[in-house]
Amino acid sequence: MRLRTKLTLFNTLSKLVIVTIFVLLLPVLIQNINKIYADNRLHKDEEKVLQTVKDQGIKSYIQNGESYGSYTPIKDVYVSLDEDTLAENLDTIQNEPRKVEGDTILYRILSHNFAVKKKNYLLEIGISLDSINETSRPLQSIAFMILVGMIVLTVLADQIYSTYVLGPLGQIIKTKLIGNKFPNFGSYQKVKTSTSDFEYLDISIHKMIKTIENTFQKEREFISNASHELMTPISILQSKIENMFERDDIVDELKTRLLEMQKILNRLKNITKTLLLISQIENEQFLKEDKISLSLLLGEVYDEISIRLQDKNISYEAYIPEEWLLVNVNKFLLFNLFFNLINNAIKYNHENGGIKVVATRENNVFIISIIDTGIGISAEELPYIFNRFKKFRQSMQQDSFGLGLPIVKSIAAFHQIKIEVISEKDKGSTFKLILPDFLIEI
Amino acid sequence: MNVLIIEDEKALAVELEIFLTNYNYICEVCFTGAAASEKIGVNLYDFILIDLGLPDYDGLELLKEAKKNNPEAICMILTARAEVYDRIKGLDLGADDYLPKPFSLLELQSRMQAITRRKFGLKQNLVDLGGFLINLTDRTISYYNTEISTITKKEFDLIAYLILHKNRTLTRSQLSEHIWGSIINDDYDSNYIDAHIKNIRKKLNVHASPDWLETVRGLGYKIKINN
Repeated sequence: MRLRTKLTLFNTLSKLVIVTIFVLLLPVLIQNINKIYADNRLHKDEEKVLQTVKDQGIKSYIQNGESYGSYTPIKDVYVSLDEDTLAENLDTIQNEPRKVEGDTILYRILSHNFAVKKKNYLLEIGISLDSINETSRPLQSIAFMILVGMIVLTVLADQIYSTYVLGPLGQIIKTKLIGNKFPNFGSYQKVKTSTSDFEYLDISIHKMIKTIENTFQKEREFISNASHELMTPISILQSKIENMFERDDIVDELKTRLLEMQKILNRLKNITKTLLLISQIENEQFLKEDKISLSLLLGEVYDEISIRLQDKNISYEAYIPEEWLLVNVNKFLLFNLFFNLINNAIKYNHENGGIKVVATRENNVFIISIIDTGIGISAEELPYIFNRFKKFRQSMQQDSFGLGLPIVKSIAAFHQIKIEVISEKDKGSTFKLILPDFLIEI
Repeated sequence: MNVLIIEDEKALAVELEIFLTNYNYICEVCFTGAAASEKIGVNLYDFILIDLGLPDYDGLELLKEAKKNNPEAICMILTARAEVYDRIKGLDLGADDYLPKPFSLLELQSRMQAITRRKFGLKQNLVDLGGFLINLTDRTISYYNTEISTITKKEFDLIAYLILHKNRTLTRSQLSEHIWGSIINDDYDSNYIDAHIKNIRKKLNVHASPDWLETVRGLGYKIKINN
């Protein structure tokens, strides 16, 4: 889930939870406010009555022992004053039902008794509960609507702000991480942001990319320079050995040893040449302007390699459509790619084994498969076969220095050819070259 | 023939001189571009071998000077920097051939011979070996007017290279460098030369035994031609 989505989701949910709790508490709150408000009013009314009694005497309410009672027309408030027989002091506010003209109504009632001229009186003031609570419904709905409105507004504001503030992060991810293909990073473009964290992130990623690029560049330069520098000393040694070999005064026993030196020098030469080739490919020093028929190219590879097939009595079959033309390629490099793949298929094959080269087409994807019946590659070795100088137990028995597949990989990458390897131990391997459509013309 | 060797690596220049003298060339050696420039201005040569990586002189400049003062000379470029040698190929500055270092001396000599032959129009280049007539120009082998068509391109390359360096033992390394040198692969040492020689003998044996194609025990192969 993306950061923005997460933030929006959290914002909305947390607000919803808070509002729900508030809405659930709202009736209780409003009821309590109403109660306190009503009680205040009751106390004020009580004071007024008592003041009147004090000023004008009880007679203003009660004459000849008749009790006083008064209520509003809709019976929401009533006052009653009566002689009381109870001697105890009473001063309470309670909810109680009263019967007023046949209607039983729930009232909040203040009861207070007092003595005037050694007579006890009981004062009751009541406000109907309905009238106390009549404001709570509209209050609740108004509060609810305001809250919903606030949620919508704040969520919207959050959304807009987080989109704005997280924009640079999205850009960093899109342009610096997803768009970049290792190890070609392209040029640096600063991401515009006022958030210092993102600025820091952008600069850090840029620095890391630069470091990686520099390391790659240095490695390439080193390999290129080292292999170039090695060429001259190798050349001198080779000439010296060749000249010594031709001399009549050197006995055969020494010549055999010169021959061994020559073999070893050849090995050094091959490694150096291969490394140089790989670095040249990676530095894109080759042109891709050749046009050649695939079956013709494979025919040339076959001419070079048939002696090796013969040597191990390996059968070779090629199923290549005559009309397939390779375009925008480097013929020398592709020749070496096929040579190395087929050479490997021979090297890691059994006597009397077989090799098939098959070209197939799936829509706009062209696939050339090199299938052998050889010793195969185990699953744990498979991820490493394209690494330079990586040698496995089975290849130790072969005369190779572990650069065959790295060449193949470099040439393929240079032509944007993908390689898939399917292999089963002791059953054989299939190397699939997946060619983009701009390399083939039919 | 006169050869001017321009090579700043003294050890290599000396080996080139020894080798070419052995093949009856008359050699002069320059270790610097300046010295070479002087010599080119004064003397005439049949061959000028130029190392491009001279510390004091642009090798390509030297090539231009050579072409100007010595238009008849065959100029060959020897270089350790392959991309430069690609550039020459593209620019076509008039070099007759180029050899990337490290190269085999045999290869150098065979290229020199091939250019000479081309230049002087030596058309018929026939070698008679015990009844086998080898035509190096048409690249055919026949036995008393019967062409042996089973010989492959690679096999003929081997025979031609051995004839060119007749009466010398060529090692398997030298032979495989000649016929597979341009292929980049990761074999230590390929002994497929033996398989090729075996095939050649088998194909020729149908007609007569090719005694002239000798195996030099433990060392390599040679073709014996008595002049």
